[in-house]
Amino acid sequence: MDATPGAPLIQIRDVSRRYVRGVDEVHALERVSLDIPAGHFVGFMGPSGSGKSTLLNLVSGIDRPSEGDVIVAGQRLNDLSEDELARWRARHVGLIFQFFNLIPVLSARDNVALPLLLTKLDKAERVRRAETALRVVGLEDRLDHYPRTLSGGEQQRVAIARAIVTDPDLIVADEPTGDLDARNAEAILDLLRQLRQHFGKTVVMVTHDPRALRFVDDAYHLDKGVLLEGEEAARAQEAIRVSAGAAGARGPR
Amino acid sequence: MGLPLSYSLRNVGARRGRTLMTAGVVALVVVACSLFLGLISSLKRTLVSTGDARNIVVMRKGSDNDGSSQLTLEAYQAIRFFDGIARDAQDQPLASPELVVQPFFRTREGGRENVLVRGVEPVALAVHDNVRIVEGRMLTPSSGEAIVGRGVLGRYAGASLGDDLEFGRARWHVVGIFDADGSSFESEVWVDVRELANDAKRPFPYSGVRIRVARPEQLEPLIRRIDDDPRFALEAERETEYYAKQSESANTLYVLVVGIAVLAGIGAGFGAANTMYAAVQARTAEIGTLRALGFSRGAILTSFQVEALAVAAIGFVLGALCSLALSACLRRLLGGIGFGAATFTVNVITLRVSAADLLFALLLALVIGTAGGFGPAWRAARLRPIEALRKA
Amino acid sequence: MKYAGLVLANLGRNKLRTALTGGAIMLAVLLVCVLLTMPAGLDAFLNNIASNTRISVHNKAGLVYAMPYAFTRKVRQIDGVAAACAFVWFGGAFEEAGRVTFPNFAVEADQVGAVYPDYDVPAQQLADFQRYRDGAIVGRATMRRYGWKIGDRITLRSTVWPVNLDFRIVGEIPNDRSPLLWMNRDYLDEALKAQGRPAGLGIAGIVWVRAADPERVNAIMRTVDDLSRNSDSETASETEKSFFSNFFGSLKGFIAIILLVTGLVALCIVFIAANTASMGVRERAGELAILKAIGFGRRLLFATLLAEATVLSSVAGLAGVVSTIGITKVLHVFAGWNASLGPLGAFIVTSSVIVEGIFLSLFVGMLAGVVPAFGAARKPVVATLHEVF
Repeated sequence: MDATPGAPLIQIRDVSRRYVRGVDEVHALERVSLDIPAGHFVGFMGPSGSGKSTLLNLVSGIDRPSEGDVIVAGQRLNDLSEDELARWRARHVGLIFQFFNLIPVLSARDNVALPLLLTKLDKAERVRRAETALRVVGLEDRLDHYPRTLSGGEQQRVAIARAIVTDPDLIVADEPTGDLDARNAEAILDLLRQLRQHFGKTVVMVTHDPRALRFVDDAYHLDKGVLLEGEEAARAQEAIRVSAGAAGARGPR
Repeated sequence: MGLPLSYSLRNVGARRGRTLMTAGVVALVVVACSLFLGLISSLKRTLVSTGDARNIVVMRKGSDNDGSSQLTLEAYQAIRFFDGIARDAQDQPLASPELVVQPFFRTREGGRENVLVRGVEPVALAVHDNVRIVEGRMLTPSSGEAIVGRGVLGRYAGASLGDDLEFGRARWHVVGIFDADGSSFESEVWVDVRELANDAKRPFPYSGVRIRVARPEQLEPLIRRIDDDPRFALEAERETEYYAKQSESANTLYVLVVGIAVLAGIGAGFGAANTMYAAVQARTAEIGTLRALGFSRGAILTSFQVEALAVAAIGFVLGALCSLALSACLRRLLGGIGFGAATFTVNVITLRVSAADLLFALLLALVIGTAGGFGPAWRAARLRPIEALRKA
Repeated sequence: MKYAGLVLANLGRNKLRTALTGGAIMLAVLLVCVLLTMPAGLDAFLNNIASNTRISVHNKAGLVYAMPYAFTRKVRQIDGVAAACAFVWFGGAFEEAGRVTFPNFAVEADQVGAVYPDYDVPAQQLADFQRYRDGAIVGRATMRRYGWKIGDRITLRSTVWPVNLDFRIVGEIPNDRSPLLWMNRDYLDEALKAQGRPAGLGIAGIVWVRAADPERVNAIMRTVDDLSRNSDSETASETEKSFFSNFFGSLKGFIAIILLVTGLVALCIVFIAANTASMGVRERAGELAILKAIGFGRRLLFATLLAEATVLSSVAGLAGVVSTIGITKVLHVFAGWNASLGPLGAFIVTSSVIVEGIFLSLFVGMLAGVVPAFGAARKPVVATLHEVF
C-alpha cells in the first residue's frame, strides 16, 4: 500500500470499547473519532485509565472495538478474524512496549529476526535485515548479546529494531520511555522521530512523558475514555507543560 | 521479624489451584512409592523371612529342597531321639517328619498350578509355631482332611473351609485355614503325611524332618552330628538358611523389583521436586515485595518452607488414601499374586501396604517438599528486592 | 524448520527444569520398556519353541506324579504318532554353580531327535548321543554361559537322584536361547541300579510325543488319555503350547501386577512432567502474548509449544529405549536361566517393545505439550497483554 504523506493512514470512526471486569462494565473508550495522516508522529496522552492504551490496542489490531470502525491503510480491522489479525499485524505493524519484552532466551539478532520468521525470506536474508535494523538503532556491536546483558535503553532499541525490521507502515509504541531514565528516554524519542523523518514511518505512541510533546507532530489527549477537543485539549496540554516545567525545576530523576 | 504462620497456611488455601496441583503431584509420588514398597515388603515376607532360627531342616545328602529329598522311617526314628531336640509337655521330641509333593491344583480361573502340599503329623504345629490355625481346626490324621494356607484360600477350586479339594489321586476335605506371618507356608496345603505318601505312591515315607532345638547353642552340634552319621547319608542345615537358599533364584526377581522401585522413586521424586520448584519460582516477585516490606531472608525462607511442607503433607494424605484404596482394589481384583519359586510350586503373595511403607512415603513427601521449596525460595530471598520485583 | 531455533532456545531456557523433565520421561520409558520385555520373553518362548505337532503326556495329578516307563511304548504304538520320548527330570547341579542353573533331563537317546526335528541337532551328533552312554546334548545358551564346547567333560550332581554323573558333551542344540541339557536315560538307569535300586529308573515324568500330522493331534491326545483311564497313573495330554503356557501360568499374574504397578508409576511420572511443563508455559504467558502481538498466529504458537514438548519427550524416549537395551544386556549377563523367572528372565527387547516405548514418550510429549499449549494459544492477546502493558 502506498503511504503518501498527508493522506489519512488511520481512520477511527465512532469507536467505543467496553469490557466486563468482574460484575462491572468498564467503558474504556466512548465514541472516539480521529484521523492520523501517514508519515506523522502522533502521541496519545492522558492519565491512567483514560483509554489511551485501549485506543493504541485498537489501532494496532491487538484488540477489536465494541462499536465503530477502525480502518488502517484502507483495511477495516473489524472484518478480520483473530488469526487474520495476527497475520495483518505481522505485515503492517511494528510494536514497541514499555518493558521492552524481548524474548530472554534469544540473542539481540534473533529477537529482531523473530518477526521475519513469519515471512518467506530465507535465513541469510533474515539475518541481513535484522543486522541492518540493529545498525539503524545504533547497536551493530551488540548483535550476539542476550537481553539480560543489555541496559534498559539498549533493550528498548533492540525492541525498536524488532518493530522496524519488517518495514511496517505503522509503528506503535506503548509508553516506550516509561521504564527509562531521562537521557535514554530522549534518545528513544529522538530515534522514533528519525524513523518518521528518514523512513517516512507513521508512529503512534502512548505516553505520559511530557518530553514527548517536543518530538511529536500531534498530541491527542484522552480522559475517562473520551477524546478531548478544542479548549479542553489545549488546557490538558498546558497542564502537562506546566508539570514538565515543575519536574524540570527539580532536576532530572 | 517473622511472618505469621497464618500467612503460609493462608497461601496454601488461597492458591487452591496451584496447591492442589502440587499436592496432587506429591500424592502421585506417594501412591507410586507406597505401592512399590508394599510389593517389595510382601515379596520379602514370603521369600526371605520364612523359617525359624531355632529350627533345622534334615534332608537326604545332595538334595537341595524338600521336593527332591527322601528319607526312610528308620532314619527318622533314629534322629528324633538325638540330643538337643526340644520336647513338648508330654516329653515327646519336637521333630516333625514331613513329605513334600507338588501336585497340580486347578485355579478358579481354570488354570493349573503346582502347589506345595506338605504331609505332616500333629507335631508340625509345635515345630512351626508361627503357623496358626485361624479358622476351623487342625486336621485329624487318616481321615482325608486338609488345612490350607491363607494364600491358597480361594485361589483354587475347593480351597475354602468345608469344601473338598481335589488333587493327587483323591479328594481332601478342608477343615482349617492357617496363617504364618506372611511367610511361604501360607502358600501350602497340609495333609496327613501317611495319606499323602500313599496317594503319591512314594517308596519313602518322608522327604525330610524339621527339628526344633532345645537351646540355641545345641544347634551347631546337632547339625554336625546329623551330617556325620554314617548310617543314613543325611544333611542338616538351619531352616532360615534353607529358605534363604530356596529364594536365591527369586532374588533376581527381588532385585529387579527393588531396582524398578528405586528408578521409579527417583523419577517421581525429581519430577515432584521440579514441580515444587516451579511453583515457588513463579512467586519471585512476591518474595521481592516481602523483602521490600522489610521481612528478613530467614523469615521468608521459613515461611515458604512451612508452606511447602504443608502442601507436601496434604499430598501425602491424599496419596496414602489412594494407595490404600488401590492396593485393596488390586487385592480384590487379583487375589494373591502367584509366581513360581525354585521348587516350581507357586508362592502366593498378597499385596499389602503397611504402616512402615506409608511412613517411608511420608518421609519422601517431606523431602520433596523441603528440596523443592528450599532452592527457589533461597534464591528469591537472596535477590535484591528491586531485582525480585522486576521479575514480575 | 525455520522455527527450530526458537524451539531449541526455549528448551534451553531453564536447563535444570528441562533436564529434570526429560530425565523423568526417560525413566518412565525405561521402566515400562524393561517390564515389557518380560511378557515379550514369554511370548517369544511360546511362539518360537512350541510346535503345533508336539504333545506332552504327563500324570494328571502333577508332574511329580510319574508314569510307568512302560507306558511310553504304548503311546509310541498309537496310530499317527511319529515319535515319542520319555523325559525324566534329573535336577543336576553343575558343581561350580552349586545349584540347578539350567534344566536337564534324562531322555531316550534313540527317540529324542525324532521328537525334536525342529531343534536341528546335527544327525552326526544325535548318532554320537546314542553311541556314548555318557553323552550329553546341551543348548547353546548353557554352552556359552559356561564356555563349554563339544568334547568337554562335565559332572552333574543330581538333587533328585542319589547320584553324581560324568558326561561328555557330544552335541549342541543350535539355539541361542536354549538352556537345556539332555542325557542318556540308560546311563542314569544303570547308575541307579548300581546304587542298590534293582528297579532302576522305571518311570517317565513326561512323554513328549510328535504327531505325524497336526490334524491328528486331538485324536492322539484323546487316545492316550483313554489308554490310561482307570489305571494308577491317569494321564493328561496337552499341546506343547498349552503345556508351557500352563507351566508359566502363575507368572502371568505376577507380570500383571508388576505391569500394573509400573504402569501406575509411569503414569504418575507422566502427569508430573505434564504439570511441570504447563507451569513453565504459564510463566511464559507474557512472552507468548508478545509473540502473538508481533503477529504469530494461534496455530503457529500451538505448534511451536507442542514441538518443544515433543522434541524433549522424544529425545528422552529414545534415551529411555537405548538404556533399556543397555540394561537388558546387563541383566542377561547377571540373570542367566532363572527358575523363578523362566522365560521372563530372557529380557528380550523386541521391536514391539521399542515401538511401545517410543509411543509412550510421544504420548507424554503430547500430554505435556497439548494442554498448556492449547490454553496459551487460545487466550485472546489482550487478556494476556494486560499483564504486559
